[in-house]
Amino acid sequence: MNFEQFQNQSRLYVIGALDPEELEEFEQARKKLGKKGEDFISKCYALHEAFALSLRPAKSSDAIKERLMAMVKAKKQS
Amino acid sequence: MSHSRMGPRTIAPPLEPGAPSDFELMKGIQAGDADALSQLYDRYNGILKALILRVIHNEAEADDLLQEIFMEIWNQAKNFSEQKGKPLGWMVTLARRRAIDGLRKKQAYARAEERLQNETEQQPEAWVHNATEEQIVFGDRRVLIRKVISSLPPAQQQAIDLAFFKGMSQREIAAKTNTPLGTVKTRLELGLKKIYDGLKDLKDEL
Repeated sequence: MNFEQFQNQSRLYVIGALDPEELEEFEQARKKLGKKGEDFISKCYALHEAFALSLRPAKSSDAIKERLMAMVKAKKQS
Repeated sequence: MSHSRMGPRTIAPPLEPGAPSDFELMKGIQAGDADALSQLYDRYNGILKALILRVIHNEAEADDLLQEIFMEIWNQAKNFSEQKGKPLGWMVTLARRRAIDGLRKKQAYARAEERLQNETEQQPEAWVHNATEEQIVFGDRRVLIRKVISSLPPAQQQAIDLAFFKGMSQREIAAKTNTPLGTVKTRLELGLKKIYDGLKDLKDEL
């Protein structure tokens, strides 16, 4: 797998779209590339943020936050 | 908690002067500061809820999952480090994984699949929306991201939508859309590369 192919596969990898056979080959290439491969994969995770930010924010119930903070408080006290 | 100068333009609602950065809030959470979690919730609950809804299409379940996800953010904050990227990206990855796991575990997949079947038979669900008001509020980066995504051919948008928001494999996408596997792979590769390259202008901010 050349680096351009690795880049393509990395973008598929971070969204979980590699099939099992491809994943195995990808992990081998990743191991060979070492830091260069890891650095590129890290950059690809920016896609996650971009996809989320492309959505229109949704309103959630105020009760959700109240329950969340109550749980956090309870956990801190335990 | 220390206050930072206003950060660079963000796609999230612009920070008020003196508001802590996402990194500072994460550090606060790591130190057990509940107020830091509260601020992070206020800042990003809308985006994460939208992501969850995109996966499970159920308002009540999405609210429950949102609460679980922020609780997990609280519990797992120690696993976040700046080397792993930006806090929002970390949270999105976590939220997406939980949402897709939730979709499968609750055996709502069959119902979602039926709804999806209806959606794919009609028109691809609109991914980006024209929202002039949001452009004004949220600034240029969100506009750029939406522009990049909406410039993709619908088939590429659909493939990426199914992969990212529905957690489908290439084979599942091929079966669902009645498209050859190789074509699905090409659509994903081309679409993702276009988005990735389009985001390069924002590389310092994403």
